[in-house]
Amino acid sequence: MAIATTPRGYIERPRPSGLADVIDVILDKGLVIDAYVRVALVGIELLTIDARIVIASVDTYLRFAEAVNRLDIAEDGSSQGLPELIERMESGGAESKTKGALEGVKDKLFGEDDDDGGDGGKQERSKTRARSRSSSGSSSSRSRSSRSSGSRSRGSKNNK
Amino acid sequence: MTAAAQHSVYVYGVVSAAECGSLSLTGVEGAEVRKVEHAGLVALVSAVSGGSLTAAKEVRAHWHVLDEACGTTTVLPVRFGTVMESDDAVRAELLEPNAERLELLLREVSGRVQLNVKGEYDEERLMREVVMGSAAVAELRARLKDLPDEAGYYERIRLGELVAAEVGNRRATDTRLALETLEPLSLAVKEEELRQADSAFNLAFLVDRDGLDAFGRGVSGLAKQFGERLELRYVGPLPPYSFSDVELSSEAAWA
Repeated sequence: MAIATTPRGYIERPRPSGLADVIDVILDKGLVIDAYVRVALVGIELLTIDARIVIASVDTYLRFAEAVNRLDIAEDGSSQGLPELIERMESGGAESKTKGALEGVKDKLFGEDDDDGGDGGKQERSKTRARSRSSSGSSSSRSRSSRSSGSRSRGSKNNK
Repeated sequence: MTAAAQHSVYVYGVVSAAECGSLSLTGVEGAEVRKVEHAGLVALVSAVSGGSLTAAKEVRAHWHVLDEACGTTTVLPVRFGTVMESDDAVRAELLEPNAERLELLLREVSGRVQLNVKGEYDEERLMREVVMGSAAVAELRARLKDLPDEAGYYERIRLGELVAAEVGNRRATDTRLALETLEPLSLAVKEEELRQADSAFNLAFLVDRDGLDAFGRGVSGLAKQFGERLELRYVGPLPPYSFSDVELSSEAAWA
C-alpha cells in the first residue's frame, strides 16, 4: 500500500485510503436522515475502540505523567492499557509506534469476515480500551455516536 | 404504509442523476447497489434483509461503495448504518423533502474531493520537548520520579495536566501552521476532533479535483516544515464526508 507519511514518506500524493485511515470519518460523518429505520449494528463498538479518547481526562493526564516520567528509561515493562492491548492483539503492520500498532488492531477487526456478534472474548478485550464508552453489546445504529448526534435519537420507525 | 411488502434498503449516498452513470457495485450483505431516482436526484441503495448488520463487515462494504462511486461522480455520503423502509421511503422521506438542500450540497461539492491531513506527534520527542520547555513540568517530574505510584496519585494528575496544557499549546501552534499553509489551497476546511493523545491536528479539506497537485505540494512543504517533530498522514481523495455532515428531516406527514 502506498503510504503518505513523514518523515520516511513520499507525501505529495495522498494515501489511497485504507479503511483504517477513514474509519472515524465513516462512522461520524455524512448525511443523517431522521427517518431511518433502527437497524442493529452488531459489534459497532469494536470499530470505535480507539476513536473515543477524551483528550482532557484523568486517564490522559495519568498517561502523560507516565510518559514524562519514563523518558529516560529505555525499557519500561509497566505500561498498561493501550500498549498492553496492542501487545495482546499483535500488530499486523510493521510500522513504528502506537499508530502502526493501532492500525494492526483495526486491520484485525476489519479483516474479519465472519460474524463478530458472538465473539465475547474479543468484546471483552476491547473494553479495556473502551472505558469512556458505554458499549452495550449489539447496539442500535444510534447509540454509537452519542456525542456527535444526539439528535439522531428521535423520529425513528421500527423495522418490523 | 403501502411499502410494507417491499424490502428495507440500505442507503449509501446521494448523487446527481445527471452525473450518475451505470453502476456495478456490490454493497452491504453482498447485495447489488441500485439507484432510486427522484427529480434529478439519485440515492444509491441496496436491499437488506432487516434485523441486524455486522458492523465490522458492512462498514467495509459501505466504504467500498462510496469510494467507487466517488471515483466517477460526486457523491454525498450518508452516515454509516442508515436503512430506510423501502424505495418509496427513500423518495418520500429523503429525496423529495430535502431536494433543495441536497441540490445545494451537491453543487457545493461538485467536482471536489475531501482530503484529510492528520498530524501526529512522536510521543517521546514531544514529552522531551515539554519537559525541557516548561520549568514547572520539569520540577514536578523530578519530585515525583522517586515516589511510588500510589503515593503521588494527585500530583501525577497535576503533572499530567501541566503536560496536557503544554501539549495543547503545541497543538494550537502546529494547527495554525497547517492551516496557514493548506487553507489557501483548499475551498473549505473542517477541524475534526482529535482521537489520540498524541494527535496534533486532524483537518479535512475540500479541494477541487484540479487542485490536487497543488494541494499535494502544499502538504509536502508542510511536512518539510514540521520535519521529524511531527508525522503527517495525508489520506484521500475521499467523498466529502465531512462536508456532508448535516441532518436531514423526513418531513413525512404520515410518519
